Amino acid sequence: MNAIPQLFFDAMSLGGIYAMAALGIALIFGVMNLVNFAHGEYIAFCVFALIVPSTDAVAVMFIGKAPAILLIPMLLSIGALVAVASEFFVFRHMRNSTPVAMMISSFALGFVIQNTLLLVYSSRPKAVSLWPELNKPVSIVGASIPLLQIIVIVTTLIVVVALALLLKRTRIGLEMRAAAENFTMARLLGVRANVVITGAFALSGALAAAVALIMVTQTGVADVRMGGQIMLVAFIATVIGGLGSLPGAVAAGFLIGAASVILQGFLPLEARPFRDAFLYTLVIAVLLLKPDGLFAPRSSKPRV
Amino acid sequence: MSKLGVFDVAVRYGKVPALSDVSFTVEEGERLFISGPNGAGKSSLLKAICGAAPTSHGRIEVDGDVLNGRSPEAIARLGLTMVPEGREIFGTLSVEENLRVGTGIRRDKSAIETDIAEVYQSFPILGERRHSNAGALSGGQQQMLAIGRGLLTNPKLMLVDEPSLGLAPNIVDQVYETLVNLQKDRGLTLIIVEQSSARAARVGGRMVLLRGGKVVGDGDAAKFAESDLLNEAYFGQDNSKETA
Ligand SMILES: Nc1ncnc2c1ncn2[C@@H]1O[C@H](COP(=O)(O)OP(=O)(O)O)[C@@H](O)[C@H]1O
Ligand SMILES: [Mg+2]
Repeated sequence: MNAIPQLFFDAMSLGGIYAMAALGIALIFGVMNLVNFAHGEYIAFCVFALIVPSTDAVAVMFIGKAPAILLIPMLLSIGALVAVASEFFVFRHMRNSTPVAMMISSFALGFVIQNTLLLVYSSRPKAVSLWPELNKPVSIVGASIPLLQIIVIVTTLIVVVALALLLKRTRIGLEMRAAAENFTMARLLGVRANVVITGAFALSGALAAAVALIMVTQTGVADVRMGGQIMLVAFIATVIGGLGSLPGAVAAGFLIGAASVILQGFLPLEARPFRDAFLYTLVIAVLLLKPDGLFAPRSSKPRV
Repeated sequence: MSKLGVFDVAVRYGKVPALSDVSFTVEEGERLFISGPNGAGKSSLLKAICGAAPTSHGRIEVDGDVLNGRSPEAIARLGLTMVPEGREIFGTLSVEENLRVGTGIRRDKSAIETDIAEVYQSFPILGERRHSNAGALSGGQQQMLAIGRGLLTNPKLMLVDEPSLGLAPNIVDQVYETLVNLQKDRGLTLIIVEQSSARAARVGGRMVLLRGGKVVGDGDAAKFAESDLLNEAYFGQDNSKETA
């Protein structure tokens, strides 16, 4: 009876997480032609930044102890800092490399971050209880929805609108859009490459931190491997959305979230364990029909 | 500002040389045409000046500032602007956003709005479509936008690469009229790549002739139009591979 609203909120909140992760990847791809596979590890890093560094099974809150009003900006800054640092120490030195070489070094960077986390925190998943009260259900349109789902949906909308405003209304936003379309031309007009790229990494890292906060609240677990899973889905979303297209990344993130919730809800019971196989079959079908993605950026070629 | 000196400059792409031993100077307020056949190195020369292509040898100076090794964004801050071959308009940005991209380097922020109004006055169609995507403009309109966009950086020296490419003759007339007027009003130094020597002669100015990456002539454009040097540059028999 209340299954439909339930499904709707499930789909929107899952899609929101995917959309935010996909945005983080699309932003970097836009300005650098880099598919940054370390993005998932930024998420994991932010999750572990919440707890005291130790290999103990029980997680002790560290930054996670701070009240939300401090914790949220702190973690967003940490995410931005990690991403900016990785640009400064790794990708900045590869500006003239091929996209494949950059992609491979992003894998390498991801492994370095992951193994550092393993070393410091051990490989055992730890229970982390951040804002547990947010998982209490509230009742909306006859369905019982965890408050967190509503927060996730609202957060995603705020993030998307804020990012759109930043890109549309500010100087740095204009420069980022120009650089994403034609980096050399933007530089010829005086746009500073380093400023734009650092800005994109900072935004991308902050998005990773937002995803980290949501995931850890939702699952209550800190796991070194948690970045890989979401990175895969987010990457697929950016490809389906048309690499480099920000609206495409958001739309595709929601689309994948919805598809995965619908498959979960409507597949026969014995087929449910293979949900992801069905999901990826859909992905392949989309890419066969539209190899450039559903929302490939408009061509800048003149009409005449 | 904006006496340009190019001394013994070479540009290569990997092992392939595109320019060698190129030298010439341009005085403030002068109009210089660069001409020569396809592949002569005209675009490479402009790119080397504005920092989009690295030089492998030689020196480029603007009023004593050495440009070699500087980033394009640093060179733009010295008052050089590029209107590149193929216009390179930002097609996903609106017309007005295209004009504003290059205004970040200006100190005279108050003059930006007047300059934008001036561009719209010169090209009313750009004003009418200021909020549309620039990618939807026609080739001629995009050329006007590219010139306007360069102008909005408040340059002293403007490099324009083949503005007539792919445009109908009457539109080309309009583009040149605009460039000449701009130069008159603002005292711009202009370097224009133009394949048609007849066109260059009609507009008037000095001409540097390139062929196979080398300077093969330097003088009054009108004189070139009548001389054999042009024919030789375009159809000559030596090792330039583009002459067939
Ligand atoms: N990006 C590039 N990579 C390799 N070779 C290039 C590149 N750009 C130009 N060239 C070569 O350099 C030479 C000069 O090219 P260009 O400067 O574009 O000449 P023009 O503008 O006079 O037609 C040509 O032989 C061209 O093939
Ligand atoms: Mg050319």
